Amino acid sequence: MIVKILKACRLPLLVITFLIMYFPLIIIGILSVNKSSYAHAFKGFTWQWYTEIFSEATLRTAIINTLTVAILATIISTALGTLIAIGIQALRPKEKKRLLMLNNIPLINPDIVTGLSLMIVFSFLHLRFGITTMLAAHIFFSIPFVVLSVLPKLQSLDKDLYYAALDLGCTPMSAVLKVIIPAIKSGIITGALIAFTMSIDDFVISYFTTGNGFSNFSIWLYARLGRKSFSPAAYAYNTCITMVTFVILMAINIKSIKSKKGRILNEKNSSCIDNTTYSS
Amino acid sequence: MKELRKLATPYKWFMILLVAIPVLIMTVLSFSKTSGVDFTNIRFTLENFSKLGQSVYLEAIVNSLTLAGVATLICLVIGYPIAYIIANLQTDKKWLILVLLISPMWSNMLLRIIAWEQLFKPNSILNSLGISLDLIGTRLAVVIGMVSIYLPFMIFPIYTVLDKMDKSLLEASRDLGANKLQVFTKVVFPLSLSGIISGIIMTLLPSATAFALPLRLGGGKILLIGNVIENMFKKVYNYNLGSLLSIMVIVLIFASMGIVNRDKGSLI
Repeated sequence: MIVKILKACRLPLLVITFLIMYFPLIIIGILSVNKSSYAHAFKGFTWQWYTEIFSEATLRTAIINTLTVAILATIISTALGTLIAIGIQALRPKEKKRLLMLNNIPLINPDIVTGLSLMIVFSFLHLRFGITTMLAAHIFFSIPFVVLSVLPKLQSLDKDLYYAALDLGCTPMSAVLKVIIPAIKSGIITGALIAFTMSIDDFVISYFTTGNGFSNFSIWLYARLGRKSFSPAAYAYNTCITMVTFVILMAINIKSIKSKKGRILNEKNSSCIDNTTYSS
Repeated sequence: MKELRKLATPYKWFMILLVAIPVLIMTVLSFSKTSGVDFTNIRFTLENFSKLGQSVYLEAIVNSLTLAGVATLICLVIGYPIAYIIANLQTDKKWLILVLLISPMWSNMLLRIIAWEQLFKPNSILNSLGISLDLIGTRLAVVIGMVSIYLPFMIFPIYTVLDKMDKSLLEASRDLGANKLQVFTKVVFPLSLSGIISGIIMTLLPSATAFALPLRLGGGKILLIGNVIENMFKKVYNYNLGSLLSIMVIVLIFASMGIVNRDKGSLI
């Protein structure tokens, strides 16, 4: 009886979920092609807001800032996070557990607590608020995600590969670069993707750690709302981002399904150490 | 691999500097009167605590707990069956549904809140369909916003647990005479508790401390603790009372984590 009721609820539930999650996106999409710059009436179709993304100076600056911070934060936090994860993996179990707990605190803390903590440390250290503090904050909250996506790959990695590299004359650092990092590549890529998406979308932490007029897209948006001067180009920009990420996600999944069989062969090949590269 | 350990050492100090030190500074700030984080004219006092009793702050705390609580409960009621349905789909199109559930999260959160705001105004794009939702400033609007934004954070942890569950356990319980309902209540549900707990944490904490969402959808009438904290640090520059409120939030978080961890231990 109950099983039957549950089965009947299946479709409505899926519909409700997708509605409640996609409704805002649909509205954003509609408003991005709405001729009226006010959101309360649809006055016809236009592409003008999409060109305004590039012509409205403050929005363009905000988008460039967002991308600059996101790209820099992704590169730095992925590099640091990977090395830190390798270090953590080498720790004694007790120390490892303790450091991982510390690593998880920023993940559990709500954004406002992380943002405030960073703001207080930065102003305590008398740092000049702006792009550097925002970048530092983004690196800080991205590293734990990179560590968490790299660690499982390290755990399943055969330690003997590393020792073999040392025996063959590698220094520890070149063994890490030439053996460990290529073997955990997929974890690093996942970490970098998470870092990038966290950074590009962040509002709260950026809001508390920026200053001197440096704003990313979210901060620009928040400030505009207060002043009621709001360009629908923001909807257009967001629709572009949504479309791009959707296409990327689809492409990754289709590719990974297609290459499922080929992957096993590839992994075998890539984990083979090419001796010729160590001749120097 | 001992020589690689030194890669993690700076991280430990880095994390202590950025996680523990601010909590210490905030604790000092909440017991004192200073200008910003300038400790030169520090005066220790308990007046921040006496201000806590004011109805604005109490109301904000109650609002945070009730609205975020209701939103989390709705997320759980919708999210658990959804996670269960997706985990048990017998199709290779599972990834498509997952991608569809993840992609809205790539859209700017603030802009999604604004989209709801535009929809909830009495004059909205829905007027052309003859509908006028006048919801700005109501608790319902805030809760709908929260559910819409944080639902994926409930679905994914539960989905992960259900998807990784050892299916032979279900077969075993069926072999031992359990019917479908009993398999669920006695095996599946207890085993998915860890996912439920992380789902609740991932939904409750951010929604209870949100400030842009209640500000936009609550029309300034419904204040949550996040609004009060933002106000203290960004508008009236009362770092002392702001710190005290943040410390309260941090203590609540760690207390609930402690309870969760203890309960988890006793469940397993």
